[in-house]
Amino acid sequence: MLQRLASTLAALCVSAAALADIAPMLPPGEPATGLADSAALRATVFGTPPQDIAPLPAKVPLLEMDLKLPWACPLPEVLWFDRRLRVWLSTQKRPAPLVIVISGTGSDGDTAKLSLLRAVLYGAGYHVLTMPSPTFPGFIASASSTGVAGDLLQDGHDLYAAMREVIAHLPRKVRVTDIDVVGYSLGGANVAIVKSIDAAQRGLDIHRAVMINPPVSLFATMGRLDKLYAVSLGNGDAGIEQFYQQLYAALANLYRASDRVQLDEDFLLGAAASVLKTDAQFSAAIALTFRIALSNVFFTGDLYSGAGVVTDPKHPPKVGDSLEEVARTLRGKSFAEYFTRIFAPYYMKRRSLSSVEELIAQNRLEVIGDALRDDGDYYALTNSDDLILDRAELEWLKRTLGSRIAVYDHGGHLGNLGERQQVADLLDMLSGRWTGRAR
Amino acid sequence: MRAGAAIGMSALALALGGCATQSAVFHSLPPEHPAASNAADIARANTIAAEAGLAAKSTAGAAHGGPDAKQSESPPLLTPAYAPPLSTYDPWAHLNRFTYRFNARFDEAIFLPVANGYRRLPAPLRSGVHNFFGNLGEVDSLINYTLQGRLGRGVRSLGRFVINSTIGIGGLVDVAETLHLPKAPTGFGTTLAKWGMHPGPYLVIPFYGPSSLREGIGLAADYGTSYGINLADLYRSWQSWGLGVTNAVDQRASIDFRYYASGSPFEYETIRFLSVRKQLIEDAGLHRKRLPPKPNPNQPAGE
Repeated sequence: MLQRLASTLAALCVSAAALADIAPMLPPGEPATGLADSAALRATVFGTPPQDIAPLPAKVPLLEMDLKLPWACPLPEVLWFDRRLRVWLSTQKRPAPLVIVISGTGSDGDTAKLSLLRAVLYGAGYHVLTMPSPTFPGFIASASSTGVAGDLLQDGHDLYAAMREVIAHLPRKVRVTDIDVVGYSLGGANVAIVKSIDAAQRGLDIHRAVMINPPVSLFATMGRLDKLYAVSLGNGDAGIEQFYQQLYAALANLYRASDRVQLDEDFLLGAAASVLKTDAQFSAAIALTFRIALSNVFFTGDLYSGAGVVTDPKHPPKVGDSLEEVARTLRGKSFAEYFTRIFAPYYMKRRSLSSVEELIAQNRLEVIGDALRDDGDYYALTNSDDLILDRAELEWLKRTLGSRIAVYDHGGHLGNLGERQQVADLLDMLSGRWTGRAR
Repeated sequence: MRAGAAIGMSALALALGGCATQSAVFHSLPPEHPAASNAADIARANTIAAEAGLAAKSTAGAAHGGPDAKQSESPPLLTPAYAPPLSTYDPWAHLNRFTYRFNARFDEAIFLPVANGYRRLPAPLRSGVHNFFGNLGEVDSLINYTLQGRLGRGVRSLGRFVINSTIGIGGLVDVAETLHLPKAPTGFGTTLAKWGMHPGPYLVIPFYGPSSLREGIGLAADYGTSYGINLADLYRSWQSWGLGVTNAVDQRASIDFRYYASGSPFEYETIRFLSVRKQLIEDAGLHRKRLPPKPNPNQPAGE
């Protein structure tokens, strides 16, 4: 299957030169799709089929909390709308344990995936607090102490501080008996780090941490996604334009064949399955989603660190300035470029590191390997066909967590989130009932 | 009227002042209904599966020249070359960006909080309000479908209006929907499009949002038509302001969008990109029998 995928991708590959600009930390022979096959790519794009979703409650109350955090950097003018950290809270009327849920790369604290997790956790009797990823621009502007996002330790400290602030401001009537953390994708790695920080600082007494489809090495994962972008969309605007033209034509044809008078959300949701069909299109869609998230991280990192790659540090963009040219430039900027031009210079100087390898090593889950191995309150749920992992990384997770990991055969990256068995296992892990049964 | 203005101003002062000082601010949001939305997702998935089955059947029929072949009726297919360029025509960008920001601030301070309050009202009450305004809109739809020469759809609007105004108690209940006459509103903007008018420059309309010059003209004309007809004296009497505001709040409450939920500095560019392409695809859908003009690759989309 992977071979078929590779040949499809190769056919779409715009130029061999595109492969030259790949993150140096990725072994040359490794597939861009990690462990994913065709079904895994499809699952990653479309998510869990609605009929396979675990039972959900009829009604979930929702409260938004906006916080101003004292340690945030001065707010750049162009990010005026990101001045407050926004989190979402669903509380039970009686005393209950609280689960804090963190979203994935570049995502807000109110995504569809979080909404799904909120529903199953609230339905199981938890208070639920959902928070953005430390790589979400709203978090970077309102809660990051550096503005340069993506570092596992720094993001963990900022996230932990933000959690403490949120908990301190919870409405008085909310009675919390215990605190657990759950995160998906990058958020999985974030919550594991947060729990380890808490173990030292004892500020929240976080009980259990569950990682859903976490990365093991941030840079290997990002390198894989850079490579996926390069093989499915190429380096310049040509590949992205071609992909966009395909989607536009497919969507327009579908719309013209329908009886509709408006191109609304309902139509788009229905159309997705007929517009995205091939592995090459799935790959392009996944790569593009990450690239869009990266654009925001790149822009904010450049702005805050004063690196001057896409913005002029002496004349930062003002409210009302066109960012069209910047957005266009950023479409062509890979994670590797963010790493070499903004991230590494900033953190190597800050931590007085002598080599890039040290920084890469600090961004692997191995930094808390001992805790993951010895503390029985860390858990993980992942899939044997996740595109952000390779075999060695999956084996490391299994070896380190032992019986505290559930690995499903199918689902790709988050393509089985909310599925019945997965939710049952998640709830078992959170409540301590998990016995690590074989699957 | 004066009392209304006073209440409005106090709400404004509260909304604007309340946010500025506290380190933590709470907004009570309408509850989510996960079980119901999942059921809706399952229903949609089933419909799509059924439609896909039908489509496969008719394609197979067409391919074999069988009795199901409807080649003459299916619209000619657009190739990727019909996609407009990635860049977008926005000659009034400066004004548009300003209006977008204004809309975002207005939405955050007033419009969305009010709409969220409205969303907490009992569902039957809200659907009554929604249906009532939808029913008033049928008059404008009827006129415009006629102007567009789509008489079948015009008759459908007329039928909906008659059924819902009578059996549906003045439009509060959408009885026609249950009789398989679903709502399909149209307006003068679409009429202009049907007559061949280009959308014109991208335009962010105050309070309303992303649109185009043509749609802006259409909205003004639609309001003018309603004002001219002045059905049941709803548009010119003292209560017309209240009705207008209620309509706006009801519309806002039905749109699942929040300004800068993306958190992204590029949100203006993204929304503009999507809005203009949506418009162009809808235009291509108005003339199903022919292909739209092929875009010039050197001209930004929408020019």
